[in-house]
Amino acid sequence: MVYVKWVFILLFWGFVGSVLHYTLPQHDIVRVSDTYGKRVDPGANSWFWAQADAGTDVTMGSRDVFFIQTRRAGDDVMVYRNEDTGWGWPPYFKFDTANLQAEASDLRSTAADPQWAMLTHYGWRNEFFSIYPNAIAIRAVDGPDVTIIPWVNIIILTLLAAFFWAIWSRWRRFKRNRINPVLADMSEGLEAAGDSLAEKRGRFGRWLNGR
Amino acid sequence: MIAFLELLIGGFGVLTLVYIALSLYSRSVRRGKLMAEWDAVGSGDRDVFVQQGLEEYDGSLRRKLILGVYVVPILLMGMIIYLVNFY
Repeated sequence: MVYVKWVFILLFWGFVGSVLHYTLPQHDIVRVSDTYGKRVDPGANSWFWAQADAGTDVTMGSRDVFFIQTRRAGDDVMVYRNEDTGWGWPPYFKFDTANLQAEASDLRSTAADPQWAMLTHYGWRNEFFSIYPNAIAIRAVDGPDVTIIPWVNIIILTLLAAFFWAIWSRWRRFKRNRINPVLADMSEGLEAAGDSLAEKRGRFGRWLNGR
Repeated sequence: MIAFLELLIGGFGVLTLVYIALSLYSRSVRRGKLMAEWDAVGSGDRDVFVQQGLEEYDGSLRRKLILGVYVVPILLMGMIIYLVNFY
């Protein structure tokens, strides 16, 4: 039974971790080699594609999507999609897809004469499902080894941890003060538990009776 | 447009739940503090003392600060829209 418990704990934290890893912004140092648009018909992988541009017809099955082809500082290839997130999830409220494509095209360069850029994105690349990370912003940087401090992630993760810790500690206090005493009474006998509950319900009961 | 309305209505619903929960929690914390205060230095009827304290709390600025539950996400959203699209 111990193993079952650990499987659930691992599944839970794996899920939390992967949601955060998918959703939070990450920075890549890239050299844009080209940009293009391609028709896409999201199918089984439609979870990993955004909707049509804000304001356009979202009921059409297929649409054209912008892509940005790059080579990263580590010399591996990465292709990003460039889509509006609009008012949906994840909450980047990105509407400037076409502008971003124009900026990315402007930064194109060759291996002989590289122009490095910092590309902010969220999402994953997976060849087996044809999914691509979504580019959020791009700006030119001096070289391939600039240091980037992920302030947004630091702030978001700190606030998330503080928020859940606050709720967790209050829940533990609530359990200690209100639930455990009742459980302890129960072990002494159902009658005693009834008495305790009646006592605890006193305030609520008085409120019900109009006090 | 539909997506925007979905966000607006869904967000309003969720924030209202948060607002109600936070209001009830904050009131119960205040009640606990008033009871503790009466236990320490109080005189007269305990229920009347707590009731008066809660009525005072209902008109206080502290209580109105809970409306920040609505204000903060809207400001945050405006800031994100500016930073992502126009900065």
